[in-house]
Amino acid sequence: MNIKIGFEVHQQIATRRKMYCNCPTNYQDVPPNTNVCPICTGMPGAKPLPPNQRAVEAAVEIALMLGCRVYTNQTIYIQRKHYDYPDLPSGYQRTSLPLAGGGSLLGVRIREIHLEEDPGQYDPLGGNVDYNRSGIPLVEIVTEPDMKSPEEARNFLRALVRVLEYTGKVRPEAGGAMRADVNISLEGGGRVEVKNVNSIKGAYRALRYEVIRQREKLKRGLSVERETRAFLESQMVTVPMRVKETEEDYRYIPDPDIFPLILDEGWVEKIRERMAEPPHLRESRLISEYKITRAAAEVIVSERELADLYEAVAREVDPKLVAIWFRTRLKKVLNYMKLRAADIKFTPAQLAGLLRMVRDRQLTPEQGELVLRELAKHPAEPEKIIARLGLFPIKREELLPIIARAIEENQKAVEDYRSGKEEAINFLTGKVLQLTGRRADPREITRLLIEKIGKK
Amino acid sequence: MAEGTLAKLARIRGGELSAAENVASALERIQELDRRINSFIELNPNALAEAEAVDRKIKRGERVGKLAGLTIGVKSNINVAGLRATCASRTLQNYVSPYDAEVIKRIRAEDGIIIGMNNMDEFACGSSGETSAFGPTDNPAAPGHIPGGSSSGGAAAIAARLCDLCLGTDTGGSIRNPASHCGIVGLKPTYGLVPRQGLIDLGMSLDQIGPLSADVAGTALLLETIAGRSDNECIMLNVDRVNYSELLREKSLKGMRIGISEKFSELTDPAIMKVIDGQIEKLRDLGAEIVEVDLPNLERGLSAYYLIVSVEFFSGTRKFDGRKYGRRIEDVCGEEVLRRILRGRYISQKEYRGKFYQRALQVRTLVRRELLAAFERVDVIVGPTVPKLPHRLGTKITPMEMYAYDYLTVPANLAGICAGVVNAGRVNGIPVGLQVQGRVLGEPEVLRVMQALEAAG
Repeated sequence: MNIKIGFEVHQQIATRRKMYCNCPTNYQDVPPNTNVCPICTGMPGAKPLPPNQRAVEAAVEIALMLGCRVYTNQTIYIQRKHYDYPDLPSGYQRTSLPLAGGGSLLGVRIREIHLEEDPGQYDPLGGNVDYNRSGIPLVEIVTEPDMKSPEEARNFLRALVRVLEYTGKVRPEAGGAMRADVNISLEGGGRVEVKNVNSIKGAYRALRYEVIRQREKLKRGLSVERETRAFLESQMVTVPMRVKETEEDYRYIPDPDIFPLILDEGWVEKIRERMAEPPHLRESRLISEYKITRAAAEVIVSERELADLYEAVAREVDPKLVAIWFRTRLKKVLNYMKLRAADIKFTPAQLAGLLRMVRDRQLTPEQGELVLRELAKHPAEPEKIIARLGLFPIKREELLPIIARAIEENQKAVEDYRSGKEEAINFLTGKVLQLTGRRADPREITRLLIEKIGKK
Repeated sequence: MAEGTLAKLARIRGGELSAAENVASALERIQELDRRINSFIELNPNALAEAEAVDRKIKRGERVGKLAGLTIGVKSNINVAGLRATCASRTLQNYVSPYDAEVIKRIRAEDGIIIGMNNMDEFACGSSGETSAFGPTDNPAAPGHIPGGSSSGGAAAIAARLCDLCLGTDTGGSIRNPASHCGIVGLKPTYGLVPRQGLIDLGMSLDQIGPLSADVAGTALLLETIAGRSDNECIMLNVDRVNYSELLREKSLKGMRIGISEKFSELTDPAIMKVIDGQIEKLRDLGAEIVEVDLPNLERGLSAYYLIVSVEFFSGTRKFDGRKYGRRIEDVCGEEVLRRILRGRYISQKEYRGKFYQRALQVRTLVRRELLAAFERVDVIVGPTVPKLPHRLGTKITPMEMYAYDYLTVPANLAGICAGVVNAGRVNGIPVGLQVQGRVLGEPEVLRVMQALEAAG
């Protein structure tokens, strides 16, 4: 069955000041209604300050990273979108006409990019409104309905969030700063819009639910009407919204109190020169430039700082070896320590030094991982860490007697191996490793063990 | 003739009249006369204390501002911290401003004393002063007649000499119309010259705050206090402050080209026109060159104006949803406010996009181009302010009859140019004002012409 899915994604832009006033934006860190002024609470007579240039700049950068054409040297009106809700202090939200469009990401076309402002936060149970969030800049990204399954949609959102994070100009997704309106239609049915989706996981679940719901309706010969539904995160279902809300006419007018934006072409080009390489393009480049696998490249570009580190190290040591380490051991260490790549303190040279020793077999990969863990905790030259941990590679003439001793003391395992129990060799390898104080390469031990036992 | 603004200011600065005495006598006069006129909604309880502070400065020989000790009434749609900005509406009847509008900050910085909040047409929607939720205002210059509007209270207060200066607002004539009917001076500045931060919305693309006063010098003084660039809002002209009082020292009109138009007499009561024509002859005698200009689409401005105002007013009043400021505006407002909200709501519908609002903006462009073209040939354009005489208070008139008061004033708002009013004489004992329209930032020429006429008597 033919499925069409499209998104309107809203993401907060990480500016220090709000969009049309000078209030701070750390709305989650302060008591309710403290980051407020007459402007962001819409007091009678309050007029907006000129739009926050940093927010405009961030939206342009995001547009460029998504391959959009920025509409330079023309008037882009800031419009008033009227609707009546307690979180909206003036009864309208300010939203720009598209400032860019015609981009794409993972084959999904980006229709247009807008600048908006966040409303306050309404608590229907207590009947309270907190205006701390009111006026925080948002970028709105509208896609064409190009996704054909909930899985594809999820992949797209993940890629999109990665692009947004690459700019370094949005609030991290963890803060629940991403919100999406999800559009989905099945062949033969009307388009359904699902509001109130606050995460990638939520979008995926809402879509899965809608596919099933709409498919069942169509199967039974019922029609799927065009409507707006709300996603209930706690129950993982969507429910119809009140008819009034769906038939709303926003009565857009250009805001008479704000000059339209005019984006200077030269200024936009400067942003383009300065901006980071978008992750999806960087992934392709890493694959062709360093001849690494797509799986490794995907991990490497997952964070901008991780990719920067990779490229710095890959210039010094074999890029393929570095890629394997990034995908496996480095990722493991970072996950274990709950570190983001941005938090890494050691230098590319230190990591390159470590990997060079592994390449030259001065260290086993396992020893290397121990050093890496230490490096992440207390950055230092790898030689110093090795000395501190007492990690030096064992010599062959030292290793052979230990192997002989292990065989001597574990005759049962030796017999087992000889009678065809392959896994017994792992047991023996472990014993030797223990006796060497983990200084030997397990692959080397296994090779020597088989040589000895097999000789008899 | 009563004492001029500058003479009084000199007496205060010279210690001859204390600011406190000036405030006290204003309060006394208000106490005595305003029960009948109804030009103030609320008085500033700190006015005397503020005046005493100015007096102390004068005594100590400190520098005092250019409004030192003068009493200033403020239209009730401008925020003054601690006073109610009611917009003469029940919606905002208990709204106490938490902040000063930018113009109020500038007045305070020049030691002007805010004496109180003036009555007005509800949300500045009206041309008669009768739509206030706090009752109509009488016209002290023609008792029993409307004072005009919507800055009705300010104009009446000046006419009755209840205070020295007033701040009005003008979206389609709301300063000039009552100035004309009350026989005083008023000026609508160029759009974007005076900051609107703190002015409650009527038609945001047209609204301007401006002065009302008994003489041209007072208007110049208040204008130079409030005008000039502000970083605290978007739609401002990036212009330095101008010392208008200084420019008024130039008394001659020699070499000035003054435009008149046939259009004005077509639209105006002949009795009013006769008074206006008399003034034009005076201008000729004073050395100005009178030039006929062509304004073929002038009257088309009125309907475009009411469409634009209604849409912007609808948008601006959405915040009065009953959640924050008393009751929802539609539930408690008067007829004219409701009419404009409903009209704005109707014509801003998606299905009418391009049909009304956009068309109105096109007409606005047409009117603006026509006026700007005329200003390539002349320095100012003079004519009547209001095409007919004010009706008697309480007379029932239709909305169209009410809107017809605005034919001659809305073009200046649509074009964003400046326009002042000075008394031209009387018809049947009722004052009639001459309107002087100037180009964008043409305030110096406008004030010069107004002063020349004032001086000629």
